Amino acid sequence: MRNKPKPSVFSGLSHLALVIWALLIILPLLWTFLAAFKNNTEIFGDALQLPAEVRWENWARAWDKAHVGTYMINTVVVVFFGTAGTMLFGSMAAYVLARYTFPGQRLIYLLFVAGMAFPVFLAIGPLFFVVKQFGLLDSHVGLVIVYIAYSLPFTVFFLAAFFRTLPEAVAEAAKIDGASHTRTFFQVMLPMAKPGIISITIFNVLGQWNQYLLPLALVPGDKEKWVITQGIADISTIAGYEADWPALFAALNLAIIPVLVVYIIFQRQIQSGLGAGALK
Amino acid sequence: MSTERLRKYGFVAGFLVVPLTLYLVFVISPYIQAFQLALTSWNGYQRNPTYVGLANFGKLFDDEVFWQAIRNHAVILLVLPLLTIAFALFFAFLLNLGGGSRGAGMRGVWGSTFYKVVFFAPQVLAVAVVGVLWKAIFRPDESGVVNGALIKMGLDPVGWLTEPSLALWSLLAVMIWQAVGFYVVLFSAGMAAIPRDYFEAAALDGAGRFRLFFSITLPLLRDTIQVGWVYLGIAAFDCFALIQVLSVDAGGPDGATTVLPVEIYKTAFSYNKVGYASAMGVALFFLTITFAVLTLRVSRREKIEL
Amino acid sequence: MTNPGEITRRQMLRRIGLTALVAGPGAGLLSACATGGGAEPAASASASASISSLVSAANPLGVDAKKPLEVVIFSGGLGDAYATGVHQPLYTKAHAGVQIKHVGTQNIGTQLRPRFLSGDVPDVVNNSGPEALDLAALAAEGHLADLTPLWDAPSVDDPGKKVRDTITPAALENAKLNGQDLVLNYIVSHRALWYDSKFFADKGWTLPATWEEFKALGETAKKEGIALFAFPGQKGPYYQLWNMLYTAAKIGGNQVIIDIDNLVDNAWKSEAVKASVTAWLEVQTAFGDKSYLGLDHTQTQIKHLQHKVLFYPCGSWLENEMVKDKPKDFEYAIAPIPSVTAADKMPYGAIQVGVGENFIVAAKGKNPQGGLAYLRLMLSKEGAKGFTEKTKNLTVVNGAAEGLDLTPGLVSAAKAQDAAGQNIITDARFEGWYKELFDYAWQQQNTLMAGRMTVEEYLDKVQKKADDIKADSSIAKQTRNA
Repeated sequence: MRNKPKPSVFSGLSHLALVIWALLIILPLLWTFLAAFKNNTEIFGDALQLPAEVRWENWARAWDKAHVGTYMINTVVVVFFGTAGTMLFGSMAAYVLARYTFPGQRLIYLLFVAGMAFPVFLAIGPLFFVVKQFGLLDSHVGLVIVYIAYSLPFTVFFLAAFFRTLPEAVAEAAKIDGASHTRTFFQVMLPMAKPGIISITIFNVLGQWNQYLLPLALVPGDKEKWVITQGIADISTIAGYEADWPALFAALNLAIIPVLVVYIIFQRQIQSGLGAGALK
Repeated sequence: MSTERLRKYGFVAGFLVVPLTLYLVFVISPYIQAFQLALTSWNGYQRNPTYVGLANFGKLFDDEVFWQAIRNHAVILLVLPLLTIAFALFFAFLLNLGGGSRGAGMRGVWGSTFYKVVFFAPQVLAVAVVGVLWKAIFRPDESGVVNGALIKMGLDPVGWLTEPSLALWSLLAVMIWQAVGFYVVLFSAGMAAIPRDYFEAAALDGAGRFRLFFSITLPLLRDTIQVGWVYLGIAAFDCFALIQVLSVDAGGPDGATTVLPVEIYKTAFSYNKVGYASAMGVALFFLTITFAVLTLRVSRREKIEL
Repeated sequence: MTNPGEITRRQMLRRIGLTALVAGPGAGLLSACATGGGAEPAASASASASISSLVSAANPLGVDAKKPLEVVIFSGGLGDAYATGVHQPLYTKAHAGVQIKHVGTQNIGTQLRPRFLSGDVPDVVNNSGPEALDLAALAAEGHLADLTPLWDAPSVDDPGKKVRDTITPAALENAKLNGQDLVLNYIVSHRALWYDSKFFADKGWTLPATWEEFKALGETAKKEGIALFAFPGQKGPYYQLWNMLYTAAKIGGNQVIIDIDNLVDNAWKSEAVKASVTAWLEVQTAFGDKSYLGLDHTQTQIKHLQHKVLFYPCGSWLENEMVKDKPKDFEYAIAPIPSVTAADKMPYGAIQVGVGENFIVAAKGKNPQGGLAYLRLMLSKEGAKGFTEKTKNLTVVNGAAEGLDLTPGLVSAAKAQDAAGQNIITDARFEGWYKELFDYAWQQQNTLMAGRMTVEEYLDKVQKKADDIKADSSIAKQTRNA
C-alpha cells in the first residue's frame, strides 16, 4: 500500500528456518530414493555416496517378490470402503446424537466418546474371536467393518460438535416445508456440514491408511490380502534375513512415491479441507 | 403430536441402529471380554482360562518394565504435543505473517504454498514406512546418514537408537518430524481466518511482530491449539507402530523407549501371557481415560459437552 | 557324571556321512547299519494315527490323497526353496493328485498363533525364527501330533528298517516335550566362531587356542582397523548368548548348561558362567565396536564379509544365509572358542554340534496323516540330500550327505567336529522351553555389552528371572538329564 515491505533480517531468518525444516523432510526422502539404486556394498559403505550405477533391477525384484502392488491395491480398497462407511454411519449417529433428545441419548453419546480413550491393544485378542465368529478373518470385508467400528468414536465426537453449531433456523424451515427427518439430514444438514465432513474424512483416511495392528491381527495368514503397512514391515524383516537391502529400499519407494503423487495432486483440497473443519 | 414423536423416534432408531450395532459388537464387546481376561492367567492356547482374580494387577505393580513404560508415556505426553505445537505455530506464523516488514502488509513469506506442501508430506506416509526409513538414517556407523555426516566432520558416530539416554529423544524427533506439517496446515488456516484489520490496527499502534503474535494470534487460535493438543495426546498413547519398527528390540535399549502397547504386544504374542497383557491393557485404558477427561475438563469448550 | 553317548557321537558322525571327509576308520561304512546307541523305546500304538484302510506298503501312514496338505515354512537363513523344490514334489509324486498349499513366512508367530486359536491350522509347520510358537504351550493343549507312528514307519529307502533307525539319535532325544515325541529336529548344525580361512592364510595368522593368543590377535587386527569380534544388538544377539553359554560349558563342562536348563538354583551364578561372561565382556570392551549394537545379524555378517570383523559366533547356516553377498575369495571356516583358562573342563577344540530347525505336525489339523507322511519323505535319503543341496546344511538323516559337493564351510565344520571327538558342547534347551528367560538373557546382554552393567549385575538379573520362571506355576516345566 503505502510503503513497500522491505526485506528484513527477520524475513531472512524466517526463510532460513523454513528452508532447514523443508530440507529435513526432502533429504531423507531423496536419500531413500537414491538408496534404491545402490547395491549392498554401497548401502553399507559411506551413506553420503551416490550409487555407482542406476540399478533398476532392485525395483524389479521389489515389485516381483514383494507384491508391493497387491498391498497398495488392497490398502486403497479397504481404506476407501472403510472411510466411506465411517463417514456415512458416523455422520448419521453424530447428527441424531447432536440434535435430537431421546431416552438414552446421553449414555449412547458418552459410550461413543469414551471409545476414543480405548486402547485398541486391550481388545485385540477378544476382537480376533469376534471377527472369527462371523467368519470374517483374513477377509477385507471383516477389516472394513472393524475399521468402521473403531473410527466411529472420533468421528461421532467431532461431527456431533460440528452439527451442534449449525443454525436451528434452517432445520426448522425444512421441517415447515414438510421435509422428513431423513430428507432434512441428507439435503440440508449434511451439505451445511461439508467443511467438517471433509476435514474428518481426511483424518480417517490418514488414520486407516496407517493402521498396522488391526490388519496384523485380523488378516494374519493370507499374504494376498495384506495391506501396505504389513507388507513393508514384512519386507523389512525379509531384507534382514535375505540381506537384500536394495530391494527393501526400492519397495519403500514403491510405497512412498504413489502416495506422494496422490497427495500432491490433492494437496489444495486437503489443506483447505483441514482448515475449514478445524475452524468451526 | 404423538405420531410426530413416533416418527422422530423411528428416525433416531433408524439412524442409530447400524453404527451402534457395529460399535457394540466389534468395540464394546471385545473390551468387556478383555476386562474379564485380565483376571485370568490365560496363555492364548488353553481352552479354559484359569481365574486368578487380581493377581495380574499385583504383578503389574512390581513390574519395573511397566513403570518404565508409564514414565515413557509421561515424557511423550509432555514433549510431543508441546514441541510439535510450538514448531507448528512458529512455522505457521512465519508462513502467514513473516513476509513483509511492518506496516499494513502483513503477509506470508514467499513460497508459503510450497513449504506447506512439503511440511505436510510426512503425514501421508504410513508409520511403518517412516519407521523403516528412519532406521536406515539412524544407522550406527558410516552407512547411516546422520553418522555418515558426523564421521565426515571427524566426529565420533552417535548411537541414536542404542544409547538409552538418546533413544527416546530420537524417536520423539521422528514423531515430531511427522506431525508438525499437519499442525502447520491447521494453524495456517486458523491464522488466515483472523481478520486483517486486527493486525493493521495493532500495527498502527506500533506493535511489533512478537507482540502481534502473543496478543492477537495466540489468543484467537486457542481453540484450534486445544484441538491439536487432544489429537496429539491420543497419539502419545499409541506409538506402537513406530516404536515396534524403529526402536532396538522393540522398546529397547533396556526398555528406554518402551510403551505399554509394545509391552502388551510382546507379553501377549511373544510370551503368550494373554491374561497379564490384558491387565496391562486395562491399566492403559484407565490412563487414557484419565488423560481425556482431564484435558476436556481443563479445556472445556462450549461445543464439547461432557 | 559319565559322558553319555560316546558311541553315538562316533556313529552320528559316520551316519551323517561326514566320515567320508575325514580319514579314519570306517570311512567306507557310510551307511553302515549300526545298532542304535541307546535302548530302543518301545513302540507305542498311537491313537492319533488312525489305521485306516488306506494303509499299504507304499502308503504306510495312510494318507488320503483327496485331502490337501498345508505346509508353513519359516523362510529365514535356509529359505524355503527346499520345501517347494524338493519335499513337496516328493509328496505329490508319492500321492498322485494331491494338492499342496505352501506358505513361506518370517513371522511364524504372528501368522500362526491366531490360526491355532481359531482351529484352522496348517498340517506341517517349520517353527523357527525369533517369532517361533511356544511349542510347550501348544503341546499342553494337544496341538502337536505324536511322531511315534512316524518313527516306527518303514523307511522310504529301506522298508526293512524303521525311520527311527535311519536318523541320528540326538534327533530322537530332542523330539521329546512333556515326555512325548512331538518335534522333529531336522538339521545338524555346528556352532562356534566363524572366520575367513583364506584371509587368515594370506595374513599368515594362526587360530588362537588360548584367551591370551585370542587377545594378542585382537591387538594385531586392531592395528589394521579390524574388530576381533562383533556383538550385533539387533535380532541376532541370541547367537552371542549361545556363544557365552558354550564358552561356559567349555570352562565348567556341559553340566553348566544342563543346570541352567533345569532351572537349578543359582545355575547362572556358577563360576564357569561368570568366567565366560567376564571374558567376553573384556573382549568386547577392548576390541569390540559399539556401533554394532545398532546393527542386526545380517548387517553384521556383511561387515564380516568385508573383513571389518574377524570372528563371528554363529551356526553353520551362516554360509547359505550370506551366499548372495559372499565375495569369491572369502572362505567360511569354523574356529573353536579359545580356552579361557588353563583349567577348562573341555579341551580347546570342543565345539557345539546340535540338532535344530523344528518341524511339527498339527494334531488337530485337517490332515495329520499327510503331515506325518510329509515328514517321512523329508527323512528319506532323497529328501535329505535335496535339502542339503539347497541349503548347504546337513540333516539328521544318516548317510544322506554322501557324494555331495560340500561347501568350504561345511567341510571345515566336519573337520572341526572330527577334531572335537567326544568333546561336543550340548545345546541350551531352555531357548525353546522358557522363551521369556532366553529373551531376557540376551536383552540384558545388550546392556552388559554396551558397558552399562557389571557382570555381577547381569548374572543377578538373569538369575532372578530364572527364579521367577521357576516359581510361576502357569509355565510348564521341562527337565533333561543329558
